[in-house]
Amino acid sequence: MRWWVIWDYREALWSGLQLTVEITLLTMIGSLLLGTLVACLRQLPSFFIERAVQAYVEVIRNIPSVVKVFFLYFVAGLDALPAAVLGLSLHQSSYISDVLDSGFRSIPREQSEAAWACGHDRRQIFLHVLLPQVAVITLPPLASQFIEIVKNSAAAMLLGIKELTFQTQNIDVETFRGFEAATAVTLIYLSLALLIAGTMILLERRIKWR
Amino acid sequence: MAVRNSAFGSAEPTRRDRWMWRAAITCALLVALLLLHGQRWDVVMASGPFLLKSLGVSWLLTLAAIGIGLPAGILLALLRTAGPPPLRQIAVGVIEVVRATPQLMVIFWIFFAVPAMTGHKVPAWTAAIVSLSLIAASYLAEVVRAGVQSVPRIQTESGLVTGLTRVQIFSSIVLPQALRNMIPALIATLVMMFKTTSLIYVVGITDFFRAVILINNREFEPVALYTTLAAGYFACCWLLSWIVRRLDPAYVLAH
Repeated sequence: MRWWVIWDYREALWSGLQLTVEITLLTMIGSLLLGTLVACLRQLPSFFIERAVQAYVEVIRNIPSVVKVFFLYFVAGLDALPAAVLGLSLHQSSYISDVLDSGFRSIPREQSEAAWACGHDRRQIFLHVLLPQVAVITLPPLASQFIEIVKNSAAAMLLGIKELTFQTQNIDVETFRGFEAATAVTLIYLSLALLIAGTMILLERRIKWR
Repeated sequence: MAVRNSAFGSAEPTRRDRWMWRAAITCALLVALLLLHGQRWDVVMASGPFLLKSLGVSWLLTLAAIGIGLPAGILLALLRTAGPPPLRQIAVGVIEVVRATPQLMVIFWIFFAVPAMTGHKVPAWTAAIVSLSLIAASYLAEVVRAGVQSVPRIQTESGLVTGLTRVQIFSSIVLPQALRNMIPALIATLVMMFKTTSLIYVVGITDFFRAVILINNREFEPVALYTTLAAGYFACCWLLSWIVRRLDPAYVLAH
């Protein structure tokens, strides 16, 4: 074991971490927006939308995220980073829409009926009655979705984006110290997951105490 | 098909709705056909046997991972819920670490760890099956644990009163009921495993994903090839979830 390679490659790992975080944050925003949109659409009383969302979820779920990223890169002709972010956002949005949908379903229907009777329109009901409650209820499952995004961001290395997993392979290629690098990077991923879980717990407490 | 209640009331599908849906699907398929019409499908056809063989490799990896991972997952879940202290913490550690790291990283780690510890290079197939089984075991352990916890405690207690041993209670009372409760999560995890095999190409095994990349490197026909790739994975994952749903006793009774 020669652990000093980690120190020698600290700058490479740091830039890899930055890229991983960048991809993760962009994907979080993208998948949350898309997932919220899909989840809201699912609440509308339309058979057509219901079926369309079902088809969307089935297609997205049954294709590996790597394949989606490659498809966007090679077929749609996007650059590496947009392809990775968009592919991962599409992938995660189907799961996030499910999480949010169960959040919507846990809110009693009387609430939207009452708001409806008070003369609010659909947009107002979504924005002021349903979504704030859904956001609080779904915080814990959303945390695990965000951790999932960190994990899936490793797929970006296959397009040659120099994020953490890419650096692992790079260290192995240059020094044959793959084990040390893989262990160190695994620890970095673990601490990222812990960071997200911790942040979400703090956020949840803060909201509950208010 | 029953339409569920939503925040804005439920809608029973009318005939018009159903026809509109069918029309939309037909339109979408036609557009897809039009877009894909001019592509060089002969490239895909020429590599047909190679692609089918590599798809078989993907299935083989999935089935091996599930075959080893499910018993190992049940064992891990058992250790986590009822294991003696050191084993219990080890089980928790393995499950949580594997579930919090990217699958790609787990594969790399196994691939690098074995040579680093033993000094021998590990064959790609061994590394692939070990890492996929490890991933399957960790994810399935949590599925099994949730399933086992969904079985009321009184069932175990009744078993104890009747004089059954712990092993008998687990294998013939708790596990069959737990298996039934965890079918949806099981389907999701099995489909996830099939999707995870697409990452195994990093250790150099020619699975479906790598086969398509290899052909694309030679021919550069990305549209035809990657459409085939996506369609292939979709069909296989769909088939896998269909099969598991068929095995569900509740489903068999309902239909």
